[in-house]
Amino acid sequence: MGIYMKWIRKCPVFFLLAVSGMVLAVTGAAGSGTVYKEMDQNPVMVPCLSRVMEGLGQGIMPWEVWESAAGKVFPNMGTEDEAAADVAAAGDNAVQVDPTAGMEAETEPGTEAMGQALPAASPDEGKELTEAEEEPARTYSFVTVTEDYFNDALFIGDSRTVGLFEYGGIEERADFLAKTSLTIYEVFLEPVPVIRDEETDRMLTIEEALGRRQYGKIYLMLGINELGRGTKETFMKEYRSVVERLRELQPGAVIFVEGIMRVAGTKNERDPIFNNTNINERNEAIAGLADGKSIFYIDINEAICDQDGNLVADYTTDEVHLKAKYYELWKQFLLEHGIE
Amino acid sequence: MASFTDLRFLFHFFPAFLAVYYIAKKEYRNTALLLGSIVFYALGDPRFLPLLLAMVWMNYLMAKNCYSRRINRAGAGSRGFLAAAVLTDAGILAGFKIMGAFQESIVLPLGLSFYIFKMISFQIDVYRGKIESLPSFRDTAVYFMLFPQIVSGPIMRFQAGRFRFGRQRKYSWEAFEKGLQYLAVGLGTKVLLADRLALLWKDINMIGYESISTPLAWLGAAAFSMELYFDFWGYSLMASGICVMLGLPYIKNFDHPYASKSISEFWRRWHMTLGSFFRDYVYIPLGGSRGSELKTIRNLLSVWLLTGFWHGSSRNFIFWGLMLFVLIVAEKLWLGRVLEKHPLLARCWVLVLIPISWIFFAITDLNQLNLYLGRMFPFLGGDGIAVNPRDIVKYLGLYWRYLAAGVVWCIPASFRLFEKHRRNPVAVVLTVFIFWFSVYCIVSMGNNPFAYLKF
Repeated sequence: MGIYMKWIRKCPVFFLLAVSGMVLAVTGAAGSGTVYKEMDQNPVMVPCLSRVMEGLGQGIMPWEVWESAAGKVFPNMGTEDEAAADVAAAGDNAVQVDPTAGMEAETEPGTEAMGQALPAASPDEGKELTEAEEEPARTYSFVTVTEDYFNDALFIGDSRTVGLFEYGGIEERADFLAKTSLTIYEVFLEPVPVIRDEETDRMLTIEEALGRRQYGKIYLMLGINELGRGTKETFMKEYRSVVERLRELQPGAVIFVEGIMRVAGTKNERDPIFNNTNINERNEAIAGLADGKSIFYIDINEAICDQDGNLVADYTTDEVHLKAKYYELWKQFLLEHGIE
Repeated sequence: MASFTDLRFLFHFFPAFLAVYYIAKKEYRNTALLLGSIVFYALGDPRFLPLLLAMVWMNYLMAKNCYSRRINRAGAGSRGFLAAAVLTDAGILAGFKIMGAFQESIVLPLGLSFYIFKMISFQIDVYRGKIESLPSFRDTAVYFMLFPQIVSGPIMRFQAGRFRFGRQRKYSWEAFEKGLQYLAVGLGTKVLLADRLALLWKDINMIGYESISTPLAWLGAAAFSMELYFDFWGYSLMASGICVMLGLPYIKNFDHPYASKSISEFWRRWHMTLGSFFRDYVYIPLGGSRGSELKTIRNLLSVWLLTGFWHGSSRNFIFWGLMLFVLIVAEKLWLGRVLEKHPLLARCWVLVLIPISWIFFAITDLNQLNLYLGRMFPFLGGDGIAVNPRDIVKYLGLYWRYLAAGVVWCIPASFRLFEKHRRNPVAVVLTVFIFWFSVYCIVSMGNNPFAYLKF
């Protein structure tokens, strides 16, 4: 025994790394097919212990592997339900949103919350539009508007909309509820604080913010982050319910559902998920939500894509986001597609 | 797999190699090292393995002829073999670099610059008699192909490796532990700092240089300076740590360069094995600083043009080399004396000019380079387009942790503190934590595109 202790004292880091490495590798191998079903990969190409790490990133704790195994061997141990639930949770992870995931994302670089403090709601605002809605049915067509149009506009979106906030030159006029990596699944889920209330210095959820003020128009661009999870159907189910909820909370607002901005051609060719085929497929579905009365589909890809339908290469350096100076094109496009 | 941050290297190749290496008898360990290095290279870049093997064989043959002429015929004809070998080596390197400059699709063979530099240094040292007796083919091949060093150095000298004395190599658990700690800390430096700071540089590229505010342009320069340092230093630490784990010597490649008090000193402390290579095999043979002032300047110019070309063949690297040349000549002529008297000024001189020089290094497109410099110095006419003046607040908010940690890790005392107390239980636990946290970050960035790709 003494001789081993002496050895450990000589190389404690090696000892700790070797032991923890083996435990992690065995855990990763043991969880194959159960807890780590989602991330089973060829163990020659991807070491087993990386499953444990990947699981951790998704909130699956390593000991769940052993709880799950124990549940199978000793069903009476009482861990069965728990373990089964864990397994189910792991399986559902692709679609289900872990509420803590949003919180964690907050602290990562590249993720930020932003928005402007909302002025206190004035009771008269939005009234006119509500009345307008009650007019007899008429057809609307897009007209060119001035920048004043954005004075009662709200933009909801992901990092691309964050870019519009930062570089579009309309941040003084419009409100923005935009956040990097925001998805349609999280828009109305509770812990997505994107806006700070000046009076109470508390972060508001989108739902709270919408309850405070009636907007004249709401622009919604979400969908790129969702390409990797769920199907077109699950996405649209959620998208539709978000639009319905917006309609409920903001009865007077014109809702612009924006087509997802496409990616550059180089990415389109290479990326099995974030490519324009997938984007176009979802855009078609989003376009189907337009009713020509209060919900309108607009597609800014008309203004920023080349003849092959890819985001113009010069407009982007990361193949996904517009360079700052090209947000002007987005703004101009919106100005040409007003509804009055 | 040819990267130490690849999990297959860390958890498959390296442990398996260690096991084979230490199970083998001492006299077979160089053989194990040679075979391991061949496997490593084959897994990383199989297409160019034949080139590497041919180069090893050719260089050994040339060195053997050079050596036998030096010994048997008092040097007659040895110069011819040296010239042939060095010209072939340098020609192949230059050929690939020039082809790469014209044709983007041409990829350099893995580690080409590094193994070629080892070969040139070996040839010259055999010719000069610094390598007294000709080593065996196996020991020479191990030196050229040594897997911890083949991808990006350090450019170790043959004598430093003591491959000839493989049997007398000292092995101890203490050294093994020390090497492992360097490996873990190097991994953390690369993954937790360099890779994070790289995201800031990526964000700046996303915005487009014409639209960044002047403070953000400077923050970007600072972030890139740190990223480059931590990336390369971290990698060098890992390489040297692996060598130490194998009973080989520790090769220092960086000596806290940002604490330097002149540009010349910075370059003596940055990528030290490359600097000493140019010093011993280019600068001094040209006459170094022993001739007239004009000759010294000529020699410096040769070294810095070569350094620029070695780093890349696009024109910005030539400007980069020239900029450093001008600064170093200015220091040699008169500025050095001024800087010596004013240490604070000297530090500012280094900490302002080196990041600017890295911008020349980072941006290969000259128009883009011009745009970026224009944003750093707006009074020179670099008007921005759609600049958001508050961008600095956002990016400081996002990256201040990494920037602050980076500044601390640039201070020599931090690393020395670690080296001094590395056996302290706190340092032990910290090392283990850094290792696993780095692995966690590699996994969540690499294997899981959904965790990384957030728009």
